Amino acid sequence: MKPRKKLLAFIKPGIATLIPLLIFMAPAEVSGIPGISPVEQRVLALFALAALFWILEPIPIFATSVLIIVLSLMMISDAGLRFLRQDETGQPYSNLLDYREIMATFASPVILLFLGGFFLAMAAVKFRLDQSLAAVLLRPFGQKPKWLLLGIMIITAGFSMFMSNTATTAMMLTVLAPVLPFFEPGDRGRAAFALGVPFAANIGGVGTPIGTPPNAIALQYLSGEHAIGFGQWMSFGVPFVIILLLGAWALLLALFPVRTPSIMLTFKTRFLRTPKAYIVYGTFVLTVLLWLTDFWHGMNAYVVSMIPVAVFLSAGIIGKEDLKGMSWDVLWLVAGGIALGLALEKSGLAERLVALIPFSDWSAWTVLIVSAFAGLVMANFMSNTGTANLLLPIIAAMGASGLLLDSVGGTAGLILGVTLSVSLGMALPISTPPNALAHATGEINTRDMARAGISVGLIGLVIALVLIEILNLVGFF
Amino acid sequence: MEKIFIICVEDQREVLNAVLKDLESFEAVFFLEGCESADEAEELLDEIDAGGNYIGLLICDHIMPGKSGIELLIEVNRDPRFSYTKKLLLTGLATHQDTINAINSAAIDRYIEKPWNVDALQAQVRTLLAQFIFDQGIAYEKYLPYLDQGVVLERVRKGG
Repeated sequence: MKPRKKLLAFIKPGIATLIPLLIFMAPAEVSGIPGISPVEQRVLALFALAALFWILEPIPIFATSVLIIVLSLMMISDAGLRFLRQDETGQPYSNLLDYREIMATFASPVILLFLGGFFLAMAAVKFRLDQSLAAVLLRPFGQKPKWLLLGIMIITAGFSMFMSNTATTAMMLTVLAPVLPFFEPGDRGRAAFALGVPFAANIGGVGTPIGTPPNAIALQYLSGEHAIGFGQWMSFGVPFVIILLLGAWALLLALFPVRTPSIMLTFKTRFLRTPKAYIVYGTFVLTVLLWLTDFWHGMNAYVVSMIPVAVFLSAGIIGKEDLKGMSWDVLWLVAGGIALGLALEKSGLAERLVALIPFSDWSAWTVLIVSAFAGLVMANFMSNTGTANLLLPIIAAMGASGLLLDSVGGTAGLILGVTLSVSLGMALPISTPPNALAHATGEINTRDMARAGISVGLIGLVIALVLIEILNLVGFF
Repeated sequence: MEKIFIICVEDQREVLNAVLKDLESFEAVFFLEGCESADEAEELLDEIDAGGNYIGLLICDHIMPGKSGIELLIEVNRDPRFSYTKKLLLTGLATHQDTINAINSAAIDRYIEKPWNVDALQAQVRTLLAQFIFDQGIAYEKYLPYLDQGVVLERVRKGG
């Protein structure tokens, strides 16, 4: 490794630890936040640490999440270090967090909802349901490139509502990769296909609560009177996906016209017809139906999500080794975000910060547009989940602070607007794992991805804002 | 961050240089080392392992003075420290019995005949490195441009 590179390797973790440490050690007056308590100051340091670590990534993003949870337990919980629990007079601080609440973030309902989703996705992949279903669903779209691209994008988006965006992209690119080299030489349409898959996967994640981790974080803050059911989420998520998907499809065709007259995709898979495979198909359908009919049977989405876990483990469909292969990193990434939100809220820091910023002069729409745009920009450069982890607790606090947000649907409208926008960051290979996979096929350059990705992101942002307005008008919130 | 090494063992200096040159593009993210004998290779393997780094791929010639390439590969295969290492035999002079030994006792992953085709060699190296990285559970993002896409996509599809 070159010395320059070695130096850089120290700079990132250096900055990312030094700034939070300074905030932690500085006397309270320096912060410039009137009335800030010692516990709040520590939360501020934690927040700075989370932000810097998630943006600069000196360590993996899920490791940052776990670090936040452990530091919270040590520094701001009622079971933390003794000298941090009481002030100089020996009086215990009143705004310490219950350590059990912090630990419980690992198993919070939204985490288990996602675990249920992971079980469904893993069983589907194991029994090749993803490939066989894609083969059947793609058939009606024929071989004309224009319609085939639409078909691929619809199926990718549809699958990524229930599977991870990354796994869906990998599955569809596997099908697509063998045919891309047979496009006519110099045909720009190759880029349309190579970009269509990751874009559709990113967009599709918005469709259901389990589509992508930022949705889980949103659900965490949409509790109590703002609670949204699985079906309710889909009632606006799916129309959003359809409209943006059609927009992205038209845009890709306009930017990268396909000249190759016909494209033939081949699938080698057929539906498995073993008893276990039927259990997988049945459980998949049943779980989705139960998610959509919570108003009838009374089980909420979280409870329903545990059913496939029990079924697949009992039937031996997911075994011990599969269990080890679950994406625990994604779950812990979200848990850290929830813990950070908890610390901000329970310590009282979020409220204090929001009161400090002169939002009261802003109209509700300005607040929404600015925060959604900030979400979109951040998500282009860092992980979507990291963005949601940082932004949503602040957004939720804004709603709770008594700002007049009625014109954008209150707290819920603001949270949904930002949640949708963080899924729209897809301008760069580093924006999302699906983008990285598509870029690695070698069929698209970064410039083309940026051109198309920025456009889709901005179109999506406008559609999201219109959607919030419509939902507000129909009294959804 | 652990380093991943690609090691080439070949007694003829010019041939070794040719292999290293054909694989130099991998040096952007991997560490490429050449050895001129099996003994030298063993020392290097010890050193890399002791440093907490990985030997992702061992590319080995067969006919060498001293210990032969297949003997080296058999030893590496029996060594639990290197159970994960991918092994590629690159030779033009292996007898039928040598080949049987290479497969049954050394459990080689690939056999490429000399003279080799550069593209084919690079393609096999990409495939083996991709398998190694996913087998070891190493974060693949950084290595993505140097890995076989087919292997990556299949593993990512299964791994969520």
